[in-house]
Amino acid sequence: MFEPQIMCFLCKWCTSSAADMAGTSRIHYAPNNINMRVMCSSRVDPQHILYAFKEGADGVFLGGCHPGDCHYVEGNYKTLRRIALFKIMLKDLGIDPKRLRLEWISAAEGKKYAETMNEFTEQIRALGPLHLNEKALVQEVVKDE
Amino acid sequence: MTTKPKLKEKRIGLFVCHCGVNIAGVVDVGKVAEQLKDTPGVSFSTDYVYMCSDPGQQMIIDTIKEKHLDGIIVAACSPTLHEKTFQEAARLAGLNPYQIEIANIREQDSWVHTDKEKATKKAVKIVKSHVAKARQNENLDPIKVDVNRRALIIGGGVSGLQAAMDIADHGYEVILVEKNPSIGGKMIQLSETFPTLDCSQCILTPKMVEVSRHPRIKLLTYHEVDSISGFVGNFKVRIKKRPRYVDETLCNLCGECEKVCPQVVPDEFNMGLSFRKAIYLPFPQAIPGTYTLDAENCLGLNPVRCGKCKDVCDKKAIDYDMKETITEEEVGAVVVATGYDLYTMQALGEYGGEKYDDVVNGLEFERILSASGPTGGEIRRPSDGKVPRSIVFVQCSGSRDSEKHLPYCSKICCMYTAKHAMMYRHRVPDGQATVFYIDVRTGGKSFDEFYMRTVEEDKVLYIRGKVSKIFKEGDKLIVWGVDTLTGKKVEIEADMVVLAMAMVKADGVQDLLKKLKIATDIHGFLAEAHPKLRPVESLNAGFYLAGCAHGPKDIPETVAQASAAAAKVGDLFAQKELVHEPTVVPVNDELCSGCGICLTMCPYTARTLDPARGVVVVNEILCEGCGACAAACPSGAAQQRNQTDDQIFSMLRAMLRD
Amino acid sequence: MKVHYYPGCTLKQKTTALDISTREALKRLDVELVEPEGWTCCGAEYPLTEEKIAGLAAPIRTLRQVRDEGGDILVTTCSFCFAVLKRADRALQDDPLKHKRVNAYLRDDIQIDPLTKARTTGFEDYNGEVKVLHLLEFLRDRVGYPRIRERIKRDLEGLAIAPYYGCRVLRPREEMAVDDPESPRLFEEFLEAVGCGAVDYPFKQECCGSYLSVSLPAAATEASYRVLRSARMNGAKAVAVTCPLCFYNMDHRQDAIKEAYLDFPGLPVVYFTQLLAWALGVDRSVLGLGEHRVPADGLFLEIPATEVRT
Repeated sequence: MFEPQIMCFLCKWCTSSAADMAGTSRIHYAPNNINMRVMCSSRVDPQHILYAFKEGADGVFLGGCHPGDCHYVEGNYKTLRRIALFKIMLKDLGIDPKRLRLEWISAAEGKKYAETMNEFTEQIRALGPLHLNEKALVQEVVKDE
Repeated sequence: MTTKPKLKEKRIGLFVCHCGVNIAGVVDVGKVAEQLKDTPGVSFSTDYVYMCSDPGQQMIIDTIKEKHLDGIIVAACSPTLHEKTFQEAARLAGLNPYQIEIANIREQDSWVHTDKEKATKKAVKIVKSHVAKARQNENLDPIKVDVNRRALIIGGGVSGLQAAMDIADHGYEVILVEKNPSIGGKMIQLSETFPTLDCSQCILTPKMVEVSRHPRIKLLTYHEVDSISGFVGNFKVRIKKRPRYVDETLCNLCGECEKVCPQVVPDEFNMGLSFRKAIYLPFPQAIPGTYTLDAENCLGLNPVRCGKCKDVCDKKAIDYDMKETITEEEVGAVVVATGYDLYTMQALGEYGGEKYDDVVNGLEFERILSASGPTGGEIRRPSDGKVPRSIVFVQCSGSRDSEKHLPYCSKICCMYTAKHAMMYRHRVPDGQATVFYIDVRTGGKSFDEFYMRTVEEDKVLYIRGKVSKIFKEGDKLIVWGVDTLTGKKVEIEADMVVLAMAMVKADGVQDLLKKLKIATDIHGFLAEAHPKLRPVESLNAGFYLAGCAHGPKDIPETVAQASAAAAKVGDLFAQKELVHEPTVVPVNDELCSGCGICLTMCPYTARTLDPARGVVVVNEILCEGCGACAAACPSGAAQQRNQTDDQIFSMLRAMLRD
Repeated sequence: MKVHYYPGCTLKQKTTALDISTREALKRLDVELVEPEGWTCCGAEYPLTEEKIAGLAAPIRTLRQVRDEGGDILVTTCSFCFAVLKRADRALQDDPLKHKRVNAYLRDDIQIDPLTKARTTGFEDYNGEVKVLHLLEFLRDRVGYPRIRERIKRDLEGLAIAPYYGCRVLRPREEMAVDDPESPRLFEEFLEAVGCGAVDYPFKQECCGSYLSVSLPAAATEASYRVLRSARMNGAKAVAVTCPLCFYNMDHRQDAIKEAYLDFPGLPVVYFTQLLAWALGVDRSVLGLGEHRVPADGLFLEIPATEVRT
C-alpha cells in the first residue's frame, strides 16, 4: 500500500505544542508525517513548500495559532494570505492544491492534531504519490552531499 | 539556492536517549545512533538510557571536551522540557549554547506511533534533519544593551499613582505625567467604594500626597506626553507643558481670584452638574494645590479685556504670559495608565439620548452622592432639586450588546449599582430602588455578601430584564422593562434613572497610543502581551499597562495590576544589562535592495529603511525572531540566525530524500 | 425633473388623499411623477416565508420596469411599499441565490401592451440598478429644502406637528438605512423646512398597531392611543404620518380609541404631503380632506390675503 510522506511545518507556540500534547496524552496517529518546528507559521516561505514537494513530500501541512492568538501578533494572518495565493499557484504548477493544508491548532488541541494527521494522511493516500522530482523538467544538481 | 563556500566541516556529537522505555520501547535507539554515525558532520554517536540525568549530562560534557565537538544533537524528549538543561551542560563544557539541537523523538515519535520499524525510520529522519541544521549553526551571543533605570508613568489616576510609588520605593526615579490640572483620575470623583464603603477620597488622597512628596517622583501635572522614541531601556520622551497661567509654587489657594472671575462654565469634576469659574481649583484636595486658569474659557488672557484675577492676587502668582513648553526626558520603561471614560448616553436614543436631565450615568450619581458634590451629598435630582422617591437603576447600558453597542461586560457596574441603590435606600429610607439586570456579577472578595445585603437588608428590588425605553411624561420618567422571570412587562414611574453606562477607552488618548505604536484591541483598550501569562506587559518591549486603560476593572484589581506592572519594571531595571535572544533576522546589506517589503511584515517595527544607504536596518533588540520578514524577502537578504533558508532546505533534503 | 413614482394600491383606492396631495405638491416643485407602466401590488408585507420567489417577484418586476423605462430612482410615499421595494432590492443584492432564482423566474415574464396587444418577453436580469427612495429622502436629497423654502406660499407659523415615523421607514436598521431608529431627524427636518414646528415626543417610532387592527383590535387601539396621547401631551396640534395603515389606525379608528379611553379628546391625523401641498399653496379642495374621519380642516384654514407670502 502506498505510504504517503507528509512534511509538516509546525509553529513552536501552538501546533508544535499540540503535537507534543498528543504525545503526552499517548494519542496514536499515522507515522507518515515528519515535523519541522518554526518560530511562527509566517516563517514558512512558499519556496520551502515547493522544495518539500520536490524532495519527495506527497503532502505538506502548515500548523499555526488560531487567528488573534499568534505569539507574534499577526503572523498567522500573513500565513493565511500567502497560502491562499499560493494554492492558486500550485494548481498552475500542476500540483493538486489539496496536497497543501493549513490548519489552526492551538497548544491545547493535541487530539485535534492527531485527528488531523490521520485525516490528511488518508486524503493524500487517496490522491496518490506526487513524484514531483521525477515529473520535473529540470534535474536539480546537488552541490554538497 | 546559493552555493556557499565550503566551510570547515563540523564536529557534531549525537546523543540518542532511551528515556528508559519511553523512547527505546518503540524506537531502536541503538540503530539510530549506529545509522547516523557516519553521516557527514557527525564525529561521535552514542545512545544512553537517561540523557537528562547527571551522569548523562556529564557524559555530554566530557565528550564535548574529549572529542573537541563544536555542536551536539540530543535526540530525546520535546525541547520544551530540557533544552535549557542541555544548553547549560554545553556551556559548562565551553560550547556555545546555540550549537545545541534537540531532536524530538519522544512526544512526536515514540509516544504516538506503534509500528516500531516505521517509528525508528522516522526517528532517523528527524535526527538527520537536525544534523543538517547543526552543520550550519553559528555561535550566537545574546544581544546586550544598557538600561536607563528611570520610569515614565502616563496617567495620574490610582493605577498610575500606585505604580509610581512602587517603582520609586524600589529606589528608581519616576516621572509621572498627568494631563489634567490635578492627579486623582476618576477615583477621586467617587463617593464610597465597594464593598467596604470606604470614602474614596479618604483612601486616595494619602496616596496622592505621598506621590507629590516622594523624593524620587517628578510630578508633572497639566503636562502631556507628545512623543516617545527609542527602544526598551533607552526611550526619549517629549513632554508638552500646558501653561497654567498660575505659578504653582506661589499660589496659596486663597481663592480671591475665583471670587472675581466673571466667566462661569460647567464643572467637569462634578460632571457638569454644577459650575466653576474659568480660574479654578478642580477640587479641594487637588494636587498640586494650585489654581489653574482655563485658557479656553478665560476672556482672553488680556488685561485689557479682563484682568480681575491678576489684580486681586496678593502673591502675584498669575502670569498671562506663560507659554507652552516642551521638555525632553530619558527613561528606560513606560507604564501606560491612561484610564477610561464612560460610554456616551447619546448613543442610547431609547433611553432618551442625553435629553433628560434626570437620567444620569454612574459618575454623575457619584457626584450627587458625594458630600463634596453639587448637592452636598443629599440625593436630589438635577432637573428640579427634588428628592427622588423612586429611582430606577439600569445595568448593562451599552455593554453586553453585540448588535448595537459594546459586546463586552463592563465588570464594575453590578457592584456599583448595588452600592448606589444601597446608598439611596440609606439616605431616602422611604424611597423605592429598582434595579434592572441581566445578571448580577459579584466575583470579588466580599462582593456577593455586599450584593445580598442590598437585596435582603436594604430591600432593593431586582428585576431580571432589559429596559427597552425611558421617556418623560410630565414630572416622571417612565421606564419600560420586562421581568423575564415572570414573563411580564414592567412599567415603572420613576423620579430619576441611573444608567450603568459601559466603561470605554479614554477619550483623547487614541492619538497618543497610535503615536506610541502601543497595540490596542478592537475596543481601544490596551492589548496585553498574553492574556494569561503576560497580563501587565504590552507586546512593545518596555511598555507596561495598568488600570482601566487595559480594560474595565475595579479598584482592588487596578491597584494589584499597577503593582504588578511596577514589579515588571523592577524586573527590567534589575538586569545589569538587557539580554535578548539572538535568533533574530538581520539584514545582509549586500543582498538588500531596499524594497521595504520586510518593513510592513514586522509587528514590532524593528526594521527601518536607512534613506542614506538605501538598505534596511534592523534593531535587533526589538526583533522577536518570528521570521515573517525572512519569508517575504525576495532577495534572501533577510535570513533568520540559525534557521536560514539554506538550513531549511538542507533539513528538507535530509528528511524527505530516501 | 421627472421621476418614477410608485403609489401602491392603497393610495389609488382607500386613501387617495396621500396620492393626490403628493402629486399636487410635487407639481409645485417642478417634479413630474411618472408611474411605471403596468405596476402591480408590491405585496404589502416583506415576505418572511421560506419561499422567496413569489414574494420577491412582484416588487422586483416593478423595479425592473422602472429601469427599462430609463429611470434610476423610484420614489414612494407609502411606508409599507417603501419597505417592501427596498428590502426586496437589497435581498437580491445580498443573496446570489435569490438573485439567480428571482431573475430566472422573471425572465419568462410576458408583458402585453394594453393598446397594441404586442407581447414582450425575455427580460434582462435585474441587478439593483434602481434606487428606492422614500419621498422624505427624495425631498431632502434630490429636491432640497432650499427649493421647498423658496416655493412656500403659506406661512404655517410653526404649526406644532408631531412627526410619526411608524415602524417601516426606519427598521430594520441595516436594511432600511434611512436614519437612526432611536434618534431620527429626517421627518423633523422636513417639517421645519415647510414651516411647521416639529414636536419631540417619545412615541414617534413606536408601533401604531399595524395589522392587529384586524386580528386583535384592542391591542391596536391601545398602541395608537399611546402615540396620539403622547403627541398631544407634548403640544402637538396634529400627527403627521407617512403610511395609510397608520392613518387608518389613528384616524379611522379614532372613534374606537375614544370609546376605549374616555380621557382622550381626540387629535387630527394628516399626511405629511398634505402639509407640504398646503404650504406650497395648493388649494384645500385637492388635499383630500374629505377622507379624514377626524376633521382636520381646522389645520388648513385660509389666511387673510394680506398675510399670504408671494
